[in-house]
Amino acid sequence: MVSEEIELKVVDLKKWFPVRMGVISTLLSRKTKYVKAVDGVSFDVKKGEIFGLAGESGCGKTTAGKTILRLLEPTSGEIYFQGQNITNIGKIDMKQLRKKMQIVYQDPYESINPRMTVYDIISEPISIHKLADSPAEKEEIIYSVLKDVELVPPEEFMLRFPHELSGGQRQRVAVARTLVMKPSFIVADEPISMLDVSIRAGILKVMLRAGEAGGISYIFITHDLAYARHICHRGAIMYLGKIAEMAPMDNLVKNPLHPYTVALMTAVPVPDPRLEKARAIIGGEVPTPIDPPSGCRFHPRCSKFMNICREEEPPLREIESGHYVACHAVR
Amino acid sequence: MSILDVQGLKMYYSTLKGDVKAVDGVVLEVEKREAIGLVGESGCGKTTFALAIIRLLPWNGRIVGGNVLFDGVDIIGMDEKKFDTDYRWKRLSYVFQGAMNAMNPVFRVGDQIAEAITLHEDVEKEEAMNRARDLFKLVGIDPVRVSSYPHELSGGMKQRAMIAMALACNPDFIIADEPTTALDVIVQAQTLQVIDRLRRELGLTMMLITHDLSVVAQTCLTCAIMYAGKIVEYTDINTVFEEPLHPYTKALTSAFPSIKEERRELVSIRGAPPNLLNPPTGCRFNPRCPYSMKICTEEEPEYKNQGGRHYVACHLLG
Repeated sequence: MVSEEIELKVVDLKKWFPVRMGVISTLLSRKTKYVKAVDGVSFDVKKGEIFGLAGESGCGKTTAGKTILRLLEPTSGEIYFQGQNITNIGKIDMKQLRKKMQIVYQDPYESINPRMTVYDIISEPISIHKLADSPAEKEEIIYSVLKDVELVPPEEFMLRFPHELSGGQRQRVAVARTLVMKPSFIVADEPISMLDVSIRAGILKVMLRAGEAGGISYIFITHDLAYARHICHRGAIMYLGKIAEMAPMDNLVKNPLHPYTVALMTAVPVPDPRLEKARAIIGGEVPTPIDPPSGCRFHPRCSKFMNICREEEPPLREIESGHYVACHAVR
Repeated sequence: MSILDVQGLKMYYSTLKGDVKAVDGVVLEVEKREAIGLVGESGCGKTTFALAIIRLLPWNGRIVGGNVLFDGVDIIGMDEKKFDTDYRWKRLSYVFQGAMNAMNPVFRVGDQIAEAITLHEDVEKEEAMNRARDLFKLVGIDPVRVSSYPHELSGGMKQRAMIAMALACNPDFIIADEPTTALDVIVQAQTLQVIDRLRRELGLTMMLITHDLSVVAQTCLTCAIMYAGKIVEYTDINTVFEEPLHPYTKALTSAFPSIKEERRELVSIRGAPPNLLNPPTGCRFNPRCPYSMKICTEEEPEYKNQGGRHYVACHLLG
């Protein structure tokens, strides 16, 4: 259930990465260039809500996810978790919070240690955060979390190494390692994009069920709008480090307003041969985020381009209730 | 007459643990000008099957049985030299998976395309470069980009350049292996439009290999569903989505989310695709099949015609 309580709030978050320069440029003291991966993003996630952060590669969605968890230090902006400003809190306080704020990575072949057994992988966070008083209790916790992610019978999986598991089973272990801390907020960074279609829904089901039972809020980072459509309550479309449009998922899919969202939605192929084919209604590709276009970043590719778009950056404005768009052409 | 006739092709990889039966008795006929989608999950043997057709198998892969007729001529038993000069790239070409890495980074893209032309045809370098420029125009890249290096092209342009390279010697048959998998959704739509237009304009026969049923729904006329080294169902594209007969096809199509549908609970198929070192006995889908019967574990189902050009391998159909 989605409640009205705000679990996470991000205000004007920025993450810039400096571009490494050569000796000569440095000596001539040329201005440092930055990759503005996330460049002023604001949104909130309610308790129990699944918030989709979608966009093409390089739009900054993963950087945003990692910065929110302070796995990357924000350049500026503020992050509030359960009402507390966590932008600048120290390591020790952050460690306490990490229990509650977790991440599931994209690639289960790289995100879990190949030398550790499933038991060790899941028991590590239990030990670090002292979640169990006795070895017996620890084993019980591991047993039950493995059941939750449907690695059954658990005793059969506990002593296996990752190479003895399939991709889907590995991702279940990665999810179990996260759920064992009973988090209230999870960033799921493309958790199914490396997996086969036939098993994707199984992983999602495990995550969503745990989410409903524990009131977990998710940020679901994805490039796949079809999955986002079926999972997320609300979604934001990012383009070159900024949110172009943000709305309840139904609105985003059925009534996209930003020309970029419209282009994305028309380009998504549909598994139905009788429906109209997906089309690319805009040309070109996403430009580099080093020197993004002035004004609205989408203007060089936009079908509704006006002069103002080149000069002034459009703010993210609420057009209808809960439907935000950053576009000069949408009124 | 069919342009490609695959008769029970078997292709195994030898490994230290034994033979991986990547392609195990594939039967498939492709008509001229057909656009066929070959769909399956990772490890089902779809790429291996395609590589076997164009005879570019890795060193540990070998053809164990079956035959492939291309335009009526056996191309499996054919002498390598003859196949290389008369068939590979000339009549049957390939768009490799991962355009990002499929080109040589130290040569200009135009030179790489011209090389394919000069190797197969008796033309001067200059003439070949002109043709490379025309091919670039055809796929929608500015012809001056023939003198770019691969790293100077964007992902979508590299993929188009790969398509241009595949078309270099005017082939009849083109195999595109996951041509859009690494691309963003808008660039994917652009690339699929190019492929679709070229296929119509040039009268090509195309085999599109992908794990993405929605891509097939949009570009192909027929579809073969592959599972664990075998084709389990083959039929026209509408039937695949509307009246599939094989339980795997049914499960796969319903597992695929559509952005056009109302929000729904997504479904998965229990279990995981099998390891082809040691595939299940009988029907290979039986451990995951909701309708599995005793015979399914014992006997391999025959790949039978269900009327028209609809073939299915399943015991449920008698």
